[in-house]
Amino acid sequence: MRLATCRRLTLAALLVLPLLPAPSRAEEPQRIVSIGGSVTEIVYALGEEDRLVARDTTSTYPTEVAALPDIGYIRQLSPEGVLSVNPTLVLTEEGAGPPEAVELLKEASIEFVEIPEGYDRAAVLTKIRRVSEVLGVPEKGEQLASDVAAALDDAGRIVGEETSGTPPRRVLFVLSMQGGRVMAGGANTAADGIIRLSGGVNAVAGFDGYKPLSDEAIIEAAPDVILMMARGGDLAVSDEALFSHPAIASTPAGETRAVLRMDGMKLLGFGPRTAEAATELAHALAGG
Amino acid sequence: MLDATDVTVTLGRRRVLDGVNFQAAPGELTAIVGPNGSGKTTLLRAVTGDLGYRGRITLAGEELSGIPAWRLAPRRAVLAQFTPLAFPFTVAEVVRLGQIRKGPGSAADLTPRALARVGLCGYASRPYQELSGGEQQRVQLARVLCQVWEPVEGSEARWLFLDEPVSSLDIAHQLQVMQIARDFADVGGGVVAIMHDLNLTAMFADSVALLAEGRLLEQASPEVLLRDDLLSRAYGCSLRVSTPPPSGPYVLPHAARLG
Amino acid sequence: MVAIHPEGHLVGDRRGLARRTSWVLAALLLVAAYASLAVGASGVSLPAALADLLAGSEIDARTRIILLDIRLPRLLTGMMVGASLAVAGAVLQGLFRNPLADPGLVGVSAGAGLGAISAIVLGGLLPAGLAGLFGPALVPVLAFAGSWLSVSLLYVIATRGGHTSVATMLLGGIALAAMTAAFSGLLIYMADDQQLRDLTFWSLGSLAGASWSKTLAAAPLMLAALLAAPALSRGLNALALGEAAAHHLGIPVQRLKTGAIVVVAAAVGAATAISGGIGFVGIVVPHLLRLATGPDHRALLVNSGLLGASLLLLADVVSRSIVAPSELPIGIVTAVIGGPFFLWILLRRRGSLEI
Repeated sequence: MRLATCRRLTLAALLVLPLLPAPSRAEEPQRIVSIGGSVTEIVYALGEEDRLVARDTTSTYPTEVAALPDIGYIRQLSPEGVLSVNPTLVLTEEGAGPPEAVELLKEASIEFVEIPEGYDRAAVLTKIRRVSEVLGVPEKGEQLASDVAAALDDAGRIVGEETSGTPPRRVLFVLSMQGGRVMAGGANTAADGIIRLSGGVNAVAGFDGYKPLSDEAIIEAAPDVILMMARGGDLAVSDEALFSHPAIASTPAGETRAVLRMDGMKLLGFGPRTAEAATELAHALAGG
Repeated sequence: MLDATDVTVTLGRRRVLDGVNFQAAPGELTAIVGPNGSGKTTLLRAVTGDLGYRGRITLAGEELSGIPAWRLAPRRAVLAQFTPLAFPFTVAEVVRLGQIRKGPGSAADLTPRALARVGLCGYASRPYQELSGGEQQRVQLARVLCQVWEPVEGSEARWLFLDEPVSSLDIAHQLQVMQIARDFADVGGGVVAIMHDLNLTAMFADSVALLAEGRLLEQASPEVLLRDDLLSRAYGCSLRVSTPPPSGPYVLPHAARLG
Repeated sequence: MVAIHPEGHLVGDRRGLARRTSWVLAALLLVAAYASLAVGASGVSLPAALADLLAGSEIDARTRIILLDIRLPRLLTGMMVGASLAVAGAVLQGLFRNPLADPGLVGVSAGAGLGAISAIVLGGLLPAGLAGLFGPALVPVLAFAGSWLSVSLLYVIATRGGHTSVATMLLGGIALAAMTAAFSGLLIYMADDQQLRDLTFWSLGSLAGASWSKTLAAAPLMLAALLAAPALSRGLNALALGEAAAHHLGIPVQRLKTGAIVVVAAAVGAATAISGGIGFVGIVVPHLLRLATGPDHRALLVNSGLLGASLLLLADVVSRSIVAPSELPIGIVTAVIGGPFFLWILLRRRGSLEI
């Protein structure tokens, strides 16, 4: 029930915001290249997508974004590729590169703004406010930020209600499983952040970033639930493949065959959809 | 003069040459003979500067080990038993590799003349790797001849070192190649050749060095050295040396020196 | 009766043909260089810019940056990398006396890669990311050291008594590549997932990061190698007859081998450092030229440089226009062309390979 409310809220924000009267923005950047899925999502949520002229490979939501030219991967920008769409502003997540390309873009008097990354409630709101400031629409930003904050509060309440009295579930985020090698999300990752927001406990918080786990470490982690990104192609891992992994099979998650799959960008993007993701995950963890 | 005194070569732990004394003079064809594994090739490699050795080897009075490769190359050329080739060179390109010197006096391309000398005129554009073993050997001889085209330069003799130069050739080409070596010596150059065929050796050599088990048994003219007892001892089987005219039906290569 | 050409050239002498080929290849390089300057994701037109320049009018900043700061360093980098890889391939093949030796196949590029990755990790510049390090010359120098170590080791492993075994060379190369991959893996384990993705892209090869600072850092090594290489050609020709015959022909064989190893290491090291893993140029280019004009290294090395530079420039033009405004890593383009070509060589030579 609450999940539906939350969804409706976000949808409403998405639908209504573009209809608001647009203030004059003669001096604001009109041709924007948006790099990074969460930044692009924020631009859309702010209703400023008509100013976008290109996007990067990770910007896949909402689906309309696919119509924009793709300037490649965030860390492998081709300076001429970016220049070819004649941008006035490059708006990017942290870590755009290579440095030479960034240097050249700045030299070509293109405004270049990096939005700081982070994996908690405050970081999402900061991102939204920062993007809206750069776009010259701080009021819309405040509005969106408070909507998202409310949704996050909702999610937090659900977590509080549904998990009260029970010990928090131990969650193992599996990024990939190639050749039997389990890549897991440790501390300071988006996966860790969303698990916390959903009231779970990251089963492997002993290291930073995404690292391959040994079989013993998997057993030691004793996850109650495996969390993965829903994806197709070569990277897809079937339940069969997952639970036939001897180490995973012997964990509590393996015994109950507990696996959750969620859209990767929604789950890990830390953008406007994070509250939705947290709510969904919290429900799922609570067994709902 | 090529002079080797008390030369010993050790490969690994094995003493392959043991205190060998060996001389070769300009204007002569000196043959090295002996059974398989007697150290013939090792001796040749020592006197061409390929191997480390103990003892003393001098070329025209100069200690061999002190002469760098680039100064040695214009003074002596070496024909190996078999020369592999890594890339698809043509015959002409292989022969030209022997023309190591540039500048006045060597401007003329020796390649066609060298090919004509070994009877391979029409072969210039053929890929070397597609020739038969015998043809390849003659191409290599042409290359080696290019390297020391004039047998005498100034007052110094130049040298040809040949490792079994006729082993893969038919009888006509055996005679042709031996004649080329003979001619080189006759105009003052020095030739040292490892030989298996004792009849050819008797026909063409001025001096013969007989090796067995890494030691020099004797070095002398063929008339002196080719004796029943010595050869039988060296080769470990009964051998009889007949002096022409032949006293029975056997094939005797016919060449100028016998006539 | 000696077969003589009307012009007096001996039949079987391909020197004239090789010289004419050099001119054709030089013209091709000019075309490729022009294409590299003229083609790009943006609509900047080289002729228009040149016309403006000649007319004395100002060129706007965007055009200037695209032509002078993006396309020009990329042109120079592409030329040097292509020439270096092709010449290194030809020299390596001459050294090993085997037309299948390729810097990428026998683990030399892997060694260079290990050097580059070490520079990134041990240079203490990890947080700045992979590319942040290319300013200083540390990456090219360590990549050079890595490839030098690989070539030397490979030579020691594969050569015995002056004879290089093809099988040992290829297997030794695989073993070396595996060992360097293990070390690289260790270093990669220490990198975070962002750098991991950098390394993946880097290993695919790209000229996208070409900039003046990177180009100038790697250029001295590559230029030195390219200028030194022709001095090896007489020796490599003689070496085709084997080490003993080369020595008999007056070649200081040990010095020749050392020189060849240093040239290959410098060329591959610097090229790998600046552009990542670009494969097959080193085997395809010399092979084509040997088919066309023969194996004489005096022509082969020069022509390999010209053709390698042209091919890489053209491959780069493809890599940056095919998915514009994004870019396909150039290593993918060369692998797509070079992989089947390599198989074709193998099949053609299947009868004569002693593996």
